[in-house]
Amino acid sequence: MRLRTDDDIYRARLVYLGPPGYTLPVHLPYAQYGLFMLLVPLYMFVHWLFTLQVELFPAWEIALAIVTTSFVFRYVDPDRPARMVIHTALTDWRRTREPAAEQRDPRLVGSRIRIREELA
Amino acid sequence: MSSHYAPGSPAGQPAATPGDATQPVGYVAELDEAWPDPARATSPGHSGVGVFPAPRPLHQRTPTEPAPAAGTDIDSPFLDLFGATRPARSTSVGSAAREQPQPQPQPQPQPTIPQQFVAADPLAAPAAPAAPTEVERSPAGSARRATRVPHQVGERLARTETEEAAPTAAEVTPRPAEVTPRRRLAERSEPDAREVPPSDQRSTDQRDRATKGGRRDRATKTDRRDRATKPARIRPPKINFRDRDPSVELAITEIAGHLTFTPNTVTAWYWLPEVRWAFRPDAEREALLAAISEQYAGLAGFRLHLRRTTRPFPADEWARTIDTHTRAPLPDVPGTPSWADHLVAAQRHLLSVNHAEGQTYLGVTFARRSLGDSLVERVRRSFGRGVAEGERRKLSRTVEQFDEVLGAFGMRGRRVTTPELEWLLYRSVALCMAPPGRLSPVTNGHWERGDLLALTEQVERYRTPYGSTVKLVNRMTGEEGHVAVLAVGRMEPLEIPERHEPWLHFHERLPWPMELSSRVDILGSGDSFRNLEHRLRMIRSQQLDYAEHGIDAPPELERLAERALVIGDEMTTGLPVESARAHGWHRLAVGGRTREECLERARRLIQLYSRELRVSLQHPKNQDWLAREFIPGEPIANTGYVRRMPVNLFAAALPQAASTVGDRRGDLIGRTAGTCRRPVFLDLHFPMEVRERSGLGVFVAEPGGGKSTLLGALGYLAARRGVQVTLLDPSGPLARLCAMPELAPYARVLNLTGSEPGTLAPYSLIPTPLRSEFNAGDAGEREFEIAVSNARAERRMLVQDICMMLVPPQVAREASTATLFRHAVRQVPAEETATLDDVVATLGKLDDDAGRELANLLLDTAEMPLAMLFFGRPPEGLLGPDATLTVITMAGLRLPDLKIEREYWSAEEALALPMLHTAHRLAVRRCYGGSMSSRKLVGLDEAHFMEGWRSGRSFLVRLARDSRKWNLAALVASQNPKDILGLDVQNLVSTVFVGRIAEDEEIASEALRLLRVPVNDGYEATLASLSAADSTSAARLGYREFVMRDVDGRVQKVRVDVSYVDGLLDHLDTTPAAVAAAAGVLPVVAELEA
Repeated sequence: MRLRTDDDIYRARLVYLGPPGYTLPVHLPYAQYGLFMLLVPLYMFVHWLFTLQVELFPAWEIALAIVTTSFVFRYVDPDRPARMVIHTALTDWRRTREPAAEQRDPRLVGSRIRIREELA
Repeated sequence: MSSHYAPGSPAGQPAATPGDATQPVGYVAELDEAWPDPARATSPGHSGVGVFPAPRPLHQRTPTEPAPAAGTDIDSPFLDLFGATRPARSTSVGSAAREQPQPQPQPQPQPTIPQQFVAADPLAAPAAPAAPTEVERSPAGSARRATRVPHQVGERLARTETEEAAPTAAEVTPRPAEVTPRRRLAERSEPDAREVPPSDQRSTDQRDRATKGGRRDRATKTDRRDRATKPARIRPPKINFRDRDPSVELAITEIAGHLTFTPNTVTAWYWLPEVRWAFRPDAEREALLAAISEQYAGLAGFRLHLRRTTRPFPADEWARTIDTHTRAPLPDVPGTPSWADHLVAAQRHLLSVNHAEGQTYLGVTFARRSLGDSLVERVRRSFGRGVAEGERRKLSRTVEQFDEVLGAFGMRGRRVTTPELEWLLYRSVALCMAPPGRLSPVTNGHWERGDLLALTEQVERYRTPYGSTVKLVNRMTGEEGHVAVLAVGRMEPLEIPERHEPWLHFHERLPWPMELSSRVDILGSGDSFRNLEHRLRMIRSQQLDYAEHGIDAPPELERLAERALVIGDEMTTGLPVESARAHGWHRLAVGGRTREECLERARRLIQLYSRELRVSLQHPKNQDWLAREFIPGEPIANTGYVRRMPVNLFAAALPQAASTVGDRRGDLIGRTAGTCRRPVFLDLHFPMEVRERSGLGVFVAEPGGGKSTLLGALGYLAARRGVQVTLLDPSGPLARLCAMPELAPYARVLNLTGSEPGTLAPYSLIPTPLRSEFNAGDAGEREFEIAVSNARAERRMLVQDICMMLVPPQVAREASTATLFRHAVRQVPAEETATLDDVVATLGKLDDDAGRELANLLLDTAEMPLAMLFFGRPPEGLLGPDATLTVITMAGLRLPDLKIEREYWSAEEALALPMLHTAHRLAVRRCYGGSMSSRKLVGLDEAHFMEGWRSGRSFLVRLARDSRKWNLAALVASQNPKDILGLDVQNLVSTVFVGRIAEDEEIASEALRLLRVPVNDGYEATLASLSAADSTSAARLGYREFVMRDVDGRVQKVRVDVSYVDGLLDHLDTTPAAVAAAAGVLPVVAELEA
């Protein structure tokens, strides 16, 4: 029998075309706007940490957020959500980049598990 | 599953890679392996070779010399658990050894208990000259492996010291006996004792120290202390294991029965037995898949964890079995491989071709634990107790529903046992690494409760940022492994079972074992519909957006919306099975000894999947988390690569599919050649002794298909086991078997063309039953009388047929001929002592011209030297039961072509027919000489000459019937299955081998009928593709493939491979070139005749 996944339905590209009455020149997925909107305050906060003042029009922050968003979304596809890309970037970036001295990950130890032959 | 623990090298042994890779001297490299991968099965040292003491005295199993301690610079209290020597602690371990309480008494210099039976045999010796316990223990290997363990403080220094100290250590410190560490380990697993196990204590000590002061501080501190005690030393070696690395407890806190508890969830685990997939009718397969999908649908609302791991084939277990079933193996001939060597070679072969058995586990996460339950457990844990009894009792009632759902036809799951869960946990932590072996054959060889979990402490994990693999190091064995985890990406539509293999079974095509993990949420109809509807609304809204903005919507949106509508309709109106969905993540873990090997394997797997199944496997980053996902109870690595599919498709993954064939107690004859590779064992007496079926085996193949070679190989293997073997090989090459040095003293060749007159006298070929063969009493008496008169009738029939064959065909066709023969034969008493001369005399006495004419015709033929074999009395003691292997040949005889009319046969060809008939009888006659219960084997080549004669059919029927009574395995080879089917004995056939049949569709269909495989289902092409030669290669094909049906009705493609028997293939080679080449080396038939 012919068997197929339902994945294509979930693979539909949903893009923001623009507000009613105005069509944006570029059509980006909704998720990209979401990420952008998260990143701008983040960069503003970082900026504030350095300068202790908030700018009225955060031009640098917007620019940086756009760059970061597009950078992240280069790796995003229907199978690889943005969350996973960011997570991977962060977990792997957190470690040292020196491959000669590989980092030892925590050992996963199961010796504390209690064992009971019968359930009840 | 009888025992799920993998046998093999104890985990404490240096799991020697070279041991596995080493092949015995003169080992024929397996040509057929597309990817020769001898070094790693599941991983190095994955299984052991049991060596059998059968024919050798006990004292030869000498206790081995302790392995030199070179390179074992890992200071772990587990190191000497399994007999590995400690790295000369007395000299090199300074402070560390003194600081901590010695967890066990120093091993006394006492005679070591041998870990395995050690073969002091010539064959094993060259393979691992210094190896004390066969393949597992190679000191060189251990040294090399141990040095791979990185980041040992003072590693280099320690090693040099250890190397210096090694010889003395080896002399002074024998390996500690197995019993002590075992007990210690068992103690460790006790709940009370586990709180402060020696190693934990030390590691916590060190951890504490590490947190208090930096590493340097500690180093200087030890320095100072060391200098105070031993001023002579310049730098103290710090070979104590740097145990500062954090360890993380697994999420699972308790295993109770078949349930596992994490703080939040409870999972019930089930064992899914293997199911047969290959050569089953599609309807059956569909029924199986439908049943499984229904079971999955029945689990709607739960999260499943489907895990498949492997267990190396227990070669030693098999060898032990076959040794037990071999009462009297052929006595050893000095200077040739003994029975023990033979078994060792077979086990080596088994290990070298990476047979791994799959084990499939299904976990159903079915309960969220309440905060109260979890808290109670925490509190109770501190008192050494676990999950509260009330909670467990409540769960035990809930979990019964799964037994019902999963135990039905389809998955037929059964609850796992706690040792199985431990095994799964260990295999998941040490992903794709060598499974722990048996502890020691001296004790019961099993792991005690908790031992395996304690071993997880020894597995270290390393990662490189953005790395493609995770490195795992077992610090006890020094084994290093790299694992790449692949995620199942985009899947194109599959046609299972018609065109494609089950998609999670498919990976078994590759010759190395892999691990699978699927985390799946089963959504019931309500959930899946809601999920889908939400998606549909999003698509519609997007379409609306496009319309509002006056832009053409991409056509895909409309297509997807329509598809969503169709699926939604199916969901709302269809059965629960159709609406249930499995949303989840499917991962495959590929292992390798080095990063390169691992990545190469991953690449191959990706390629195979994309080419054959159109499934794109992805190799994501964040590998350490992905690898962790294989461990039951651990969280999902990430949300990427989620596959949403109907449960039908998930059921069609079928990771538990397998293809086993044959019994597990016979000789190793090869491996299955379907999607997965399993060893094939065949004990030709299994049908009679266990299944109580007939022992008739049929071989069908085109010329060159390998019938004779297989027949010879089976004959050889049976003879080694002490079975009385008679092979009839008209063309003669099998006679060379008798020249094999290990068989030569027990073998004889009987060449009929040069035999004395009367050898084939038809009357004496059919034995008279003995009264002792029947039960006492009247019933037995009656049976006996019937049998005696049956034998007489058969004799008459045979003599008539022989007479018909001897007269020219034109005469034979006349109606009066048959009448006259019958008349004459009736007058001659049908006893064993009667001869054909009596028949001729009776014919001559008839007052009928035609009768006299027939008598003259028979006398005419009797003038030919070959025909003299039929006349007169047989010589005494022609075929005694003395020789274990007897090969009957008819060298120089020209066999007629059955397609040509009999009129056109030459006189010699015409004589060949009755000769073959009687020779078949003669071969079987020998088996009636000995005791009824002793094992006997008859191999009959060219059986197609039996077709078309009454006596031929009665011969085969009798053979099949008698096979059970006389414990007689009869192998019949033929070029055309029609001969067997025409004789209508297929119901009596227990084992069938069908070789390559490419020329004739019709013959192929007949062969399939013989195999009881559906005809016209595309399997004819499979028969044609057997043993397909590579047209681009000029080399000869090194193997032969057959489709085999065993006594239990399992059908599978089998690749026959007996290369592990030294010299067997040289002796069986029937190609002209090989025969010519062997002429100088191997004796010719004439020399062999006894």
